[in-house]
Amino acid sequence: MPRRKLTPARAWLRAREHEAKGATRRVVAVQALGTLLAIGQAACATLLLAGIGLLWPAIGFGAAALLRAGLAVLAERLAFNAGAGARRRLRDAVLTSLLDAGPGKLRDRHSAELAGIAVDAVEAMDGYHSRWLPAMQQAVLGPALVGLAVLAVNPLAGITIGLCGLLVPFAMALAGIGAASASRRQFHAMQRLQTRFVDRIRGIATIVLANRAEAEAAALAEAADELRRRTLRVLRVAFLSSVSLDMAAVAAMVLVVWEAGFAWEPRALFALWLVPEFFAPIRAFSAAYQDHMAAGPAAEKFAELPPPAEPVAPPAAIRTVAAHGVTVAFENVRFAWDEARGPALDGLSFRVPAGETLILTGPSGSGKTTIMELLLGFATPQEGRITFNGADASTLVPAARMRLIAWIGQRPMLFAATIAENIRFAKPEAAAEEVQAAIHFARLESVIAALPQGLETPIGEGGFGLSGGQAQRVAIARAFLKGSPLLLLDEPTAHLDPATEAEVLDSLRRLALGRTVVLASHASAAHAFPGRRLDLQPANVAARGVA
Amino acid sequence: MKDLFRILRLWRSQDDVLLLGIAIAMVSLASGISVQALAGAALGGAAVLAILRLLGPLRVVLRYVERLATHDATFRALADLRVWLFRGIARGASWGIGFRRSGDLLARLVADIDVLDGVYLRILIPLLGALLVWPVLVWRAWDVDPHLAALLAVLFAVAALAAPAVAARGAMRFGGRRAEAGAALRVAALDLLSGLREVRVFGADGRMRAAIQAREAELYGAEHGIAAVAASASAMALLAGQVGLLGVLIAIAAAGHAPAALLLLFLTLAAFEITGGLARAGSSLGQAARASTRLFEAVETTAPAEPAHPASPAGFALRFEGVTFRWSVDRPSVFDGLTMEIPQGSRVALLGPSGAGKSSLAALVLRATEPEAGRITLGGVDIARIPLAELRANIGYLSQTTHLFADTVRANLLLGRSDASEEELWQALETARIADVVRTLPEGLDTWMGEGGAGLSGGQGRRLALARTLLSPAPILILDEPCAGLDADTERAFLATLNEVAVGRTVVLIAHRLMGIEQLDRIWRLSGGHAMAATG
Repeated sequence: MPRRKLTPARAWLRAREHEAKGATRRVVAVQALGTLLAIGQAACATLLLAGIGLLWPAIGFGAAALLRAGLAVLAERLAFNAGAGARRRLRDAVLTSLLDAGPGKLRDRHSAELAGIAVDAVEAMDGYHSRWLPAMQQAVLGPALVGLAVLAVNPLAGITIGLCGLLVPFAMALAGIGAASASRRQFHAMQRLQTRFVDRIRGIATIVLANRAEAEAAALAEAADELRRRTLRVLRVAFLSSVSLDMAAVAAMVLVVWEAGFAWEPRALFALWLVPEFFAPIRAFSAAYQDHMAAGPAAEKFAELPPPAEPVAPPAAIRTVAAHGVTVAFENVRFAWDEARGPALDGLSFRVPAGETLILTGPSGSGKTTIMELLLGFATPQEGRITFNGADASTLVPAARMRLIAWIGQRPMLFAATIAENIRFAKPEAAAEEVQAAIHFARLESVIAALPQGLETPIGEGGFGLSGGQAQRVAIARAFLKGSPLLLLDEPTAHLDPATEAEVLDSLRRLALGRTVVLASHASAAHAFPGRRLDLQPANVAARGVA
Repeated sequence: MKDLFRILRLWRSQDDVLLLGIAIAMVSLASGISVQALAGAALGGAAVLAILRLLGPLRVVLRYVERLATHDATFRALADLRVWLFRGIARGASWGIGFRRSGDLLARLVADIDVLDGVYLRILIPLLGALLVWPVLVWRAWDVDPHLAALLAVLFAVAALAAPAVAARGAMRFGGRRAEAGAALRVAALDLLSGLREVRVFGADGRMRAAIQAREAELYGAEHGIAAVAASASAMALLAGQVGLLGVLIAIAAAGHAPAALLLLFLTLAAFEITGGLARAGSSLGQAARASTRLFEAVETTAPAEPAHPASPAGFALRFEGVTFRWSVDRPSVFDGLTMEIPQGSRVALLGPSGAGKSSLAALVLRATEPEAGRITLGGVDIARIPLAELRANIGYLSQTTHLFADTVRANLLLGRSDASEEELWQALETARIADVVRTLPEGLDTWMGEGGAGLSGGQGRRLALARTLLSPAPILILDEPCAGLDADTERAFLATLNEVAVGRTVVLIAHRLMGIEQLDRIWRLSGGHAMAATG
């Protein structure tokens, strides 16, 4: 049989199946034990009704019942652990992948979308691990155990039930050949409708303000109805596979009784008792199929994530750089985000001596942000090198490089935490006096005094909103607290009104004292800052000014 | 739980389909149980071959029809529910939700609807089935032994009612904790990923991951609680069934193998089999109850009453007269006696630092909220007296959160004006400086955007939203930071074009700074809750 080519998503799922082998096996083992006990119970019932004994079979039946109940609880717990363990593992892998890729590679992706992968897509993999994978094995093992038991006691009935059971996958395949691909398409159509619905709700304010709510509601109803009709057409075929299962179960029951000649026969009772037990795992498998389906779209998202970074051998000589004053230099640096669009920087060289300020100006697209990314290490030059105090940046351990750098961007991130924790973010171990000093330096006292719970006021998502200027002050306090010798400022006042801009610039000027500063900014902010200017041109025709 | 019944009432319009599904499901269930019970009776020597021959195929066909009918009914009910939620949120959105609650937050309600998709199929129908089988089981047992009948009646109630109730309570008890932990996990993930730069710069990778793991552990703890209760409930149902079977077995062994006794044995087996899934259903019932409560909370916001004495504006001059406003009582007031006039056809800029209430002003004009004191007039008429649809038809609004839909470029533009011609579409695209980009898209105006479609950058998306607003025929355009995300050259070019187009329309430009090339009739500076006229 020619092997079907694996899509990345399928290959990814295959790898998860392998990873989860142990957990799956534990669930299946406990479930199989339950099946064995059910067989034992059938035997007890048969003995009881055949008059071979009363007390012992009854005790056996009861004991098996208790054990089965215990095993059922255990199986549920193991299945839960399999799902939770897999989710934990997956989330860890997703976060590692995203953190490795870093803000440089992820700059085009929306953070809400990435969070969706780290949260929703990971959660969607629960059923796949806790139900689908065990059900897949149990669907073979369970009927096999029951079939063999019946075969041993009542060969004819064993063969009958076995044949009926074999009919199921055969009929499922027959009915399912068309249905499987159609139902996959249908599943996607259903997801598209869902996506559309989510999208319309997300943009509901836009719809309402455009007076289009009624029209959209009607369109939504129309689309849902259309989908329902199409889905039912597919289900008409898809449910035929369930028909085969029902048919096999009914046939097995009637045939077992018929073979017994419609008369009392203990061995037939044993077989008849076990018919539902035989088909139960196959039904469970059928029911878990939707968990398998739900894993598909999630798997696609995971498969598209950047692969984990190759474990880089630690630089030959790990260097640390003196923390007192940093000289930064670019030497013939060339860098392209996308080779097709040409380089963002080509042969750029400059040097900023310790304690001095370099101001990058130029129209958007001239590479100001790229320089920042390179300095931060979120991108690596394709040619040339960047040095800190003469040491090639690529020989520095990332953590050591980051210790040198403080960075303030256009819109500082306010985390969902108190304002104190947000400032402390720069240095969690900072003493209370240090935090106070940072607050004083950034002139945040009056801001904090006006907050309902002072320093303990939650800000960020779901918290108290700060204005752009206030947020920038928090960023300044962070940078002050960190105390790094190199300060990178990427358009720090681009979103501020002129009055606030002047105040923030004033604080930044004080922060810059005694530090090496690289400031990317539009003209007016640049004028307010003392330092050398580097005027960049798009595609780096040539850098003018002092280089 | 009350809200869940209210959801069921919402489905009243689909009553016929839902009831038909239930009827077929009950007949199908009866046939299935009969086949099993009669097969047992046949072992006792009952002459039931003819009935089995008939019932067997009937059972298979009925089950097939049942599946189709109940799925059809579920789809219909869910579609209704979606439209109901959409309308409800739209009503609420018209009363400020768009300004107060983020769309993302609302979108999470969609997951609540998904929770409800099992209510009919996996809870209601099996539960009704169990209630149908219960008396039959007791009746058949009565013929064998009245004591046995009493025992089975109790045990079946345990399996079919008590166990699901226990599971439902467990789900309710841990459900709140789970929802909170889930939300906290999402916030932690968003924090890490939106703040990736800060996280890396401050070397906080480890700390942030630890925070995520802590929330994850909290979430799994709550889920484990729900699962453990559900598993115990299932085990309880299983044990009840087993005790029942043992009772029947002993009764039969004592009484000999009459066909009636064997029928009872297999009836018991089949009856308890259908209670197997009920404990799990109970667990999802608890979740569904919480979900429906959240849905009703979202939908039940007070909508603004339509004016009792509606009036149409005569002209389009906007006036603010002593407007005082704050978003809620625990927040400082945004405006404190704001008075300002924007004459018809004028070009006005509203400047002010963020937090000065520039967006609140738009919300007030659009009547997404109301002032505490003072009034706003359009063409001399208090906007509270203008029907909402009419008021909003007169205002084209580009907000900072204006949404681009996962749809074609054309459909996105037509939202601004559904009858716009091809030429007008391109004209608007040209003005918004985005026509060149749209031309390079594979299918031009018919290119699908958003998920699975052509990705536009943030700035390009803003310009498309701007084109949509410009397309609107409204006599008043409120543009809230239209140039955000535009680079300086494009911004300049856009403002220059804006000076030429939209002649005769009122343009309110909300910005934190001016480029200096805008041709403006008046500049208002917002600060401290007041508006001050500034010179251009």
